[in-house]
Amino acid sequence: MTNPKPQMTNRLWIPWLDALALAVWGLLMLKYWLTGKLNILIHPAYHWLCVAGGLGLLAVGGYKIWQLWKQHRRVRREVEALSESHLTLFPPGWGSMLLLVAAIAGLSITPRPFASQTALEVGVTDLLSATRSQPQSFRSLKKPEERTLIDWIRTLNVYPEPDEYTGDRVSVEGFVIHPPEFPKGYMVISRFVITCCAADAYPIGLPVKLPPNSPKYPADTWLLVQGEMITETLVDVRKLVIQATQIETIPEPKNPYDY
Amino acid sequence: MKPFNNAFTIFLSLLVEALPFLLLGVLFSSALLLFVNERNLVKRLPKNPVLGAFAGSLVGFLFPVCECGNVPVARRLLVQGVSPAVAVGFLLAAPTINPIVIWSTWAAFRDRPEIVVLRVVFSLVVATVIGVIFSIQGDLRPLLHPNLVRAMPKLRSETPETEEKPALLKSGTYLLGQSGGTLRLDDATASEDILEAIAPDAVIATNASGKQRWQLFVDNTIAELRELGGVLVLGSAIAAFVQVAVPREAILNLGQGPVTSILVMLGLAALVSICSTVDAFFALSFSSAFTSGSLLAFLVFGPTIDLKSIGLLLSIFRTRAVVYLFILAAQLTFFLTLLVNLHWS
Repeated sequence: MTNPKPQMTNRLWIPWLDALALAVWGLLMLKYWLTGKLNILIHPAYHWLCVAGGLGLLAVGGYKIWQLWKQHRRVRREVEALSESHLTLFPPGWGSMLLLVAAIAGLSITPRPFASQTALEVGVTDLLSATRSQPQSFRSLKKPEERTLIDWIRTLNVYPEPDEYTGDRVSVEGFVIHPPEFPKGYMVISRFVITCCAADAYPIGLPVKLPPNSPKYPADTWLLVQGEMITETLVDVRKLVIQATQIETIPEPKNPYDY
Repeated sequence: MKPFNNAFTIFLSLLVEALPFLLLGVLFSSALLLFVNERNLVKRLPKNPVLGAFAGSLVGFLFPVCECGNVPVARRLLVQGVSPAVAVGFLLAAPTINPIVIWSTWAAFRDRPEIVVLRVVFSLVVATVIGVIFSIQGDLRPLLHPNLVRAMPKLRSETPETEEKPALLKSGTYLLGQSGGTLRLDDATASEDILEAIAPDAVIATNASGKQRWQLFVDNTIAELRELGGVLVLGSAIAAFVQVAVPREAILNLGQGPVTSILVMLGLAALVSICSTVDAFFALSFSSAFTSGSLLAFLVFGPTIDLKSIGLLLSIFRTRAVVYLFILAAQLTFFLTLLVNLHWS
């Protein structure tokens, strides 16, 4: 009680920091929505939730800032009241500081979608085997040439025999992976699949047999691969392979994931 | 730069997905602080230990609070005289058995509905069993924090076993001395004062004017968002780091063993302390490498006790009781989720 002033002055910042951290997070979430980057982070089913959350955080933070601005003098009392009545886990200011730093990092660094390197690290075995979504009674009603990569993988999960599909027309989009163990003239066309957010992204893909004399497509190039299905033995396993007849380079889609 | 970019994308995606749920949970818990009449609720709860523990577990539906919010509420309930079974049941189950947590778990594990269902069922089982075990104690006072014991109203003849315990009599005498009245009068007056001392929000809330209530609502919302948001940032950073920096082989080795995977996830649950409203997203980032049982272990055990809530629990219980709670919850979760692992693999 001898000289509480310096500490008090210090603490006056805390309500401002709290409010600012929330408001900046609200702005960041709205920014991701407006710039389309939300696609890279979460499943489209939850975009509305993120927008509502962003608006909510902005409202709470903004309201508090407005209140602090208006009632400069009341702050002192609130700081005292808050520090007494709440069970705190962090020293004063730390929780908001963490939030604020994360939000500023989010504003200044653009999130990037995952690439072929990540898919390879997760492992080609995962890549060509089961997807996590359980295909209980899955029946693809789509014509073969309308199936996306994930449609193909789901169909394969239900009827794994590659010969079933020989001769089916294929037209799929994805990015290029070059698994080191693949022979020359082969690559994998792949996409990441998410069910909720980027944290659960996993790669799926199908091997592609390139037409003769085709250029080597660098890893991560986005392609539209058209052709038909064949069965080949690749790395000692019988696999369904796309025999490409036409390959077209396409721009990276705004929404890089498949669902 | 690639690993950093990936980690950053995962980190942000977890936060962007989780923050709306956190906001919703915090808004609810702040609103309920003001609008739910705890006294009426307490009167209606069953006295039978098993029913009480079960009912206490379900009270979470009225108080959608995560494990930070449940401790103050449980404390207020105890002060207002609920049975130990109800209080412990509530304390352990409320963070999981509430609509917002169930929704966020569903959002994360849409393609594995069994995780959502088993999380609810196992949490109810764990909370009810531990609630019943604690009710054998009859009177919780020897296990409670002395400050709380002083605030509790029950020293009437309706609980005859209290008379046999000298330690309890001591606290009773103290209570008498403090209020200077009879025990019966205590119930009405002293507990109100002490309630104010240990849970000022509750009393302010019941006595406040509309404007003050609104202010309390806003301040409580911000305070909880600040605390829980801070933990969420740390938790997301850990999840992103583990996914990117720890070799996948190592994770798979740990994550595929039916026993080791559960032990690892129990440990992570205790350490990471992520709020139950959003812990499903943390678990999700491990879902491709870890067994279903271990994910459930994280989702069931995490909300009951973790590093963060131990501090809060010590404001209700003596250390001994917190240790009992911790061990019982960990063991029950372990056995239930091991059954899942063995049954499914």
